[in-house]
Amino acid sequence: MSEAIHPTSPAAGSVPFLQCEGLSSGYHGRPVLQDVSFSLSEPSIYVVLGPNGAGKTTLFRTLAGILTPLRGTARIAGRSVEEPSTRDRLHFLSHVDGIPDGLRVEEALRFYATVERAGPSDVGRVMDLLEITPLRRKYFSELSAGQKKRVSIARIFLRERDLYLLDEPTANLDPKVATEIRDLILGLSREKVVLYSSHNLFEAREIGRYVIALKEGKVAVFDRISDLRSAKYSIGVRPLSGAALLPASQRKGEYFVYDLVGPEEVPKLLRELEGKGVVVREVREMGNPLEDLFR
Amino acid sequence: MAESPGVAEGLPSLTAITFKRGLVAGRLYLGLATLISLILTTVLLHNAKPGVFANTFPLELPLFATLGSMGGIMLFVSDRSKGVLEYLIAYGVRPRSLFLNVLLTAAALSSLVLLCALAVGLSGYLLTGHTLTADLENSILGYTVPMTYASALFATMTGMLWSVLSTPRAGLNSPVGVSPLLGIAPPMLVLILAEAVDKSAYYDITVGASIGFLLVVAGLLLVSTRLMGRERFLSAM
Repeated sequence: MSEAIHPTSPAAGSVPFLQCEGLSSGYHGRPVLQDVSFSLSEPSIYVVLGPNGAGKTTLFRTLAGILTPLRGTARIAGRSVEEPSTRDRLHFLSHVDGIPDGLRVEEALRFYATVERAGPSDVGRVMDLLEITPLRRKYFSELSAGQKKRVSIARIFLRERDLYLLDEPTANLDPKVATEIRDLILGLSREKVVLYSSHNLFEAREIGRYVIALKEGKVAVFDRISDLRSAKYSIGVRPLSGAALLPASQRKGEYFVYDLVGPEEVPKLLRELEGKGVVVREVREMGNPLEDLFR
Repeated sequence: MAESPGVAEGLPSLTAITFKRGLVAGRLYLGLATLISLILTTVLLHNAKPGVFANTFPLELPLFATLGSMGGIMLFVSDRSKGVLEYLIAYGVRPRSLFLNVLLTAAALSSLVLLCALAVGLSGYLLTGHTLTADLENSILGYTVPMTYASALFATMTGMLWSVLSTPRAGLNSPVGVSPLLGIAPPMLVLILAEAVDKSAYYDITVGASIGFLLVVAGLLLVSTRLMGRERFLSAM
């Protein structure tokens, strides 16, 4: 894994779209984020990772203007996040659904359309987009967890913004719904800056181009995910035949796990296995470099 | 008027939505307050003793109107716990507007109880052969109407502050449970005070006290949104 911190996404020398400088923020005067600095310019998905309490939600709430910075600045397109005009540049999706009690699905979206200054036609459009039109007359409280998440996420498509702050948007969703929502967010990221927090490291590697890893309120790593390398490179070998010839201590389910220096050692290992009479059915990488960010 | 974000054509304002939601959230309180006030009004109208209606009817209405305004504080407490308030702030709604929309909702809800009881009470009073005396008129204009709004808004404002300054609680220990009790305080205090002084100063005291309580509400509104961090509006979830 790369230990280098690159506090700037490699955009083409433009004014950073989102810039944090020495940002400290927290609750009731007690800092959770401490001296955070980074800047982003390139439209992309920036995965924000970190263990519980690392400051991910605090960062999102500060950028959304809900928390007042204790020190330092956060700017969107050169304007402080404290300025009301910056609220028109961003969408915020919290880990709570934020749908008012006692409203039907369509009423809830009309409520947020009012707040968002969107039009009634936008409500119909996002219900079609998220495939929740059949639920429009149902009370939000009657929906399943996945349906609730769809309604909650529908808000961020009511109007286009430049910055999307998405706090665990696929948490507690079944794989099918999670994939659909990830696809929608991937579509957004072609033109928009998306900050995306997740505890799912495989999802993070799949969806993100950059990772911002927070540890104890500070930026521990900011890098391209493709540039991150695991401290150890593990591969799993799934034999078609000859499993008995492989060391049982290295067995994990259907795979036999080997720790190598890097991918360049894989051909040599396969030749050795072939020499022992093992017929290999599949080889796959077992480690995820993002796992190291939690250590 | 509460500051609401600009509204797209075809959608109601945030203030209008808040009122409608407050009406739904507090419909039980509103219904009970109206029903009990009407029952009491009917009982008073059929009391044979002279002067009982004129002396009692104007005094009881602020209590029921305050009870009927509970939809406002119920909505605020629910929105805070559901995370709605943090979304609204993220979308640019100022905390002061959040408070103000709920205060307007409480005022509108208490108006519904007040207008209903006044319409039934006064028309019944006139239809049973009585005439509207100056004392009754003064009591309604000098005590009932101003004290209704003072009580309802005081209960709602203190309830909202209780909600944002404390960790969420359920039951009677919650802002929703405490609010009606706080709302009873102004009329009770004023009645006790007014009884202790010369009768000629009665309406000066009731109107003055109502204005005083409304100024307290305005002061709390100004001070709280200046001094209170926005994190106070976050859901505890």
